[in-house]
Amino acid sequence: MTLPSAPPATGTAPPGSPAPAPAPRAPRRLWRTLSPYTYIAPFFTLFAAFGVFPLIYTAVVSLYRVELQTPGEMEWRGLGNYTALFTDSYFWTALRNTFTIGVLSTVPQLAMALGLAHLLHYKLRGRTFFRTAMLMPYATSVAAATLVFAQLFGRDFGLVNYVLSAVGIGPVDWQTGTLASQVAVSSIVIWRWTGYNALIYLAGMQSIPGELYEAAEMDGASRWRQFVHVTLPGLRPTIVFTAVVSTIGATQLFGEPLLFEGSLSGGISHQYQTLGLYLYEQGWGFFHLGRAAAIAWVMFLLILLLVGVNALIARRRSRTETIR
Amino acid sequence: MPLARAARTAVAVVLGGALLAACGSGPSSSDGAGGKVTLTVDLFGSFGYQEAGLYAEYEKLHPGVRIKQTDTEDEQDYWKSLQTRLAGGGGLADVQAVEVGRIASVTQQQADKFEDLKKYGADGLKNQFAEAKWSAATTKDGRVVGLGTDVGPEAMCYRTDLLREAGLPTDRDVLARKWATWDGYLALGKQYKAKAPAKSAWLDSVGSLFTIMIGQEKERYYDASGALVYEDNPAVKAAWDASVRAAGDGLSAKLDQWSPQWNQAFSSGSFATLPCPAWMLGYIKGQAGEAGKGKWDIAKLPGGAGNWGGSYLTVPRAAKHKKEAYQLIQWLTAPEQQAKLFRKQGNFPSATGAIAAVADATDPYFSGAPIGKIFGEAAKAAPVQVLGVHDKNVADQITNALSEVERKGTSSEEAWSHAKKGVENATG
Amino acid sequence: MTSYAGRTRHGGKLTYAILTVAVLVSAFPFYWTLVAASRSNADLARVPPSLLPGPHLLRNIEAVTLEADIGKALLNSLIVSTSITVGTVLCCTLAGFAFAKLRFRGRGALLAVTVATMMIPPQLGVIPLFMLIAKLQWVNQLQSVILPGLVSAFGVFFMRQFLVQALPDELIEAARVDGASTARIFWAVVVPIARPGMAVLGLLTFMTAWNDFFWPIVALSSQEPTVQVALRQLGGGYVHDQSVIMAGTLLGTLPVLLVFGLLGRQIVGGIMQGAVKG
Repeated sequence: MTLPSAPPATGTAPPGSPAPAPAPRAPRRLWRTLSPYTYIAPFFTLFAAFGVFPLIYTAVVSLYRVELQTPGEMEWRGLGNYTALFTDSYFWTALRNTFTIGVLSTVPQLAMALGLAHLLHYKLRGRTFFRTAMLMPYATSVAAATLVFAQLFGRDFGLVNYVLSAVGIGPVDWQTGTLASQVAVSSIVIWRWTGYNALIYLAGMQSIPGELYEAAEMDGASRWRQFVHVTLPGLRPTIVFTAVVSTIGATQLFGEPLLFEGSLSGGISHQYQTLGLYLYEQGWGFFHLGRAAAIAWVMFLLILLLVGVNALIARRRSRTETIR
Repeated sequence: MPLARAARTAVAVVLGGALLAACGSGPSSSDGAGGKVTLTVDLFGSFGYQEAGLYAEYEKLHPGVRIKQTDTEDEQDYWKSLQTRLAGGGGLADVQAVEVGRIASVTQQQADKFEDLKKYGADGLKNQFAEAKWSAATTKDGRVVGLGTDVGPEAMCYRTDLLREAGLPTDRDVLARKWATWDGYLALGKQYKAKAPAKSAWLDSVGSLFTIMIGQEKERYYDASGALVYEDNPAVKAAWDASVRAAGDGLSAKLDQWSPQWNQAFSSGSFATLPCPAWMLGYIKGQAGEAGKGKWDIAKLPGGAGNWGGSYLTVPRAAKHKKEAYQLIQWLTAPEQQAKLFRKQGNFPSATGAIAAVADATDPYFSGAPIGKIFGEAAKAAPVQVLGVHDKNVADQITNALSEVERKGTSSEEAWSHAKKGVENATG
Repeated sequence: MTSYAGRTRHGGKLTYAILTVAVLVSAFPFYWTLVAASRSNADLARVPPSLLPGPHLLRNIEAVTLEADIGKALLNSLIVSTSITVGTVLCCTLAGFAFAKLRFRGRGALLAVTVATMMIPPQLGVIPLFMLIAKLQWVNQLQSVILPGLVSAFGVFFMRQFLVQALPDELIEAARVDGASTARIFWAVVVPIARPGMAVLGLLTFMTAWNDFFWPIVALSSQEPTVQVALRQLGGGYVHDQSVIMAGTLLGTLPVLLVFGLLGRQIVGGIMQGAVKG
């Protein structure tokens, strides 16, 4: 995921309004009209070569049989890669896993973030310390975090199982069980992103006008009612934003399941293989680049669908709100 | 704004660091400057050259050469990375190792990406090697893509201390008699299980049981015509069934080979026996360390002789120093070095001259076991295996499915169907 | 932009207690990395596990530097992340300025396309990208990671939003009247004002580049690793020893933690600012 930091534009910014230049000579005018393009040229050159082209070409590749060892030889398959996917039980497993791990990681993460943001919003001593400490996991790489968690979740010698056994549970085989392994993988995501989302929510809370709280207080609303009726509505755009970002992140989850056991198949029976990991296994484990491209394209459509649904819900809700 | 200043400081620090580091590494990476050549060697598993001091020796013999080794433990990962680099042209070492299960894929599909070693006079080495080892690395049109390093004659390694605790015999000859057949081995496993120390199983994983058993067969996944026949091969079925039975009897510690947990278990005594090809000896030493010295022993393998693994050293087309690389691999695979390596690390020689030279070798780490004799006999009696393009892929899918059987309790039929599907995925 | 009058209540004991637990949970894996990295493999296979650091840290670090070339990985990560940061900040400020303050044909459409691709994970273009660099014979060379890393749709959007608010039109007008060229206006007027935004973008870009995972493990290998590639190798059984793996993890995380320790407050501020803007 690249820099999921700013929410999408909520309003249109005022258009830049350079006044008409005072009648320059012709070449100069030409330069004037051209020069904006020279500003955007560096970005768009790279963007075209490494951003747009690969994305579109993925669709092309997905129609061919292409093997990693011989990327130059492309053999037309039409929709063959796609039809093969739809009868591929591992694909459906991966799709289901992506969804369940997505829910297991996103929902608790955002809920806890909301709670923490609420607490951080109080006047606190050591405010900066708390904020910084909670953001620390975000600064850790997926690889590092996963390696440590994989250790903690070890079946025979892991700390988690040791603690559980001390209270009479387990041992849980965190690698093999479907639910157990998905919980373990999700916990890495939750650990890394909860603090980050808490800060985003906190920022949202701080921009809610204080008068609203004062008014609620005068009406005798309890803290909980204030939270439900003032904080949550005020945070709605932020919540939508974090939900979108987390959804996109969950759809392409890759590093955590890959490094959890270091296996491309996401566990011995694919029990926590995500779409992103399946793409990688097809492409760089089995060397079928064409088939991997088809998976990539399906992931793309899935993201469009999910973001669309998200936007739709957000719009419907804001409309009902304005009507009210 | 303090942020801007702080960021500027950070950028300055980082840039300065990068510059320093870049300067520091500059001279060493620009080889050839002082007539020095740095040869890169990329290996998997445990070849043991470094541990046996062979690089140091070679550098002493050739003062202009420095050797730098990288090593990936798991061959699957190694192979994937090698394929990516072969496709993308960059990052290939001067010497790349290839496992015997992949050598057919190289000779049949990728010979053009490797140097024909005949160019450098490899022809003259032919008689040094066992016939099968040599021909497996030769293409149809007679190009030689690799020089054989070791072969993998099979035996059974075991922990004398654990067996004693369970009241079982620990003498290697007695054990060899008791587990003359696989049935005997599994029966002994049940006895062990009944009285074993806590948290200790008979063997590490049923996947390794399958692999060592299939190593005793001439025909495994492919037939001589190159057709994929593993599904109908009774030998594959027999090894599969025995493995499933062992899993059902709870004889396995359920530790997938090469996983971090498997590695940790060497020092915890989680398993009493470990099917071991010769190259596993060095691995055990590395894993169990000084604390394991004298606790291990080696006996003849149940059910006859077999071969598991063994490797080749190749020089890719894209290597920087091809000639020097060839000289190095010629030296490393020469009988004297192979014999030395066996004595120190256990990798069994593929050079015929070396095999005779190590017949009397014993290893104090393994309670003085006569490793020269045990592995020498196994090597002589092991069948010459039929190799196929996707040997390793098929094997990996099957052991993966077996792991499902022992760890998840998946039924034999279902796991087998997964293995088949995995093979289709990998080969299709 | 922030009305800090939002809350005046002080947090109670329970608030502090919960927050402290949260901090402990955040911090524990770091501590455990240190513990595991300073023990031997055999220690880690012991029940009950030892919870205090042991004496083997240096030995493990030495082992991981030898076996996985963490030194080279750190250097490569530094080169890659720095190049990406400098390049991205420059490209994005240029483009962000044009989108914020200049008028040209196709502006709306181009901006819309850029923003739209923010939603698209870079993973999806990875296959053609790989074929491209394979064709260029760039596999395992650092530019194969640096060049695609320079494309940050988010960065353009971020800088545009920043400049729309921070850069008054009158300032540009005044410079225009003085006869300054657009290029001069950029360096003399825009950049000084854009600096805080550039700094935030730079920090975030650096961290993202340092931690980037998918593309580097495709494009690079153990012969020319970044830190993340080296960690992936460690996790994929590059090294036999858990404690050595943890030593590698420790070394690979330390630089980011260092930056975080120095600039944590600024990073927190940047992220919260980014969240409110737009």
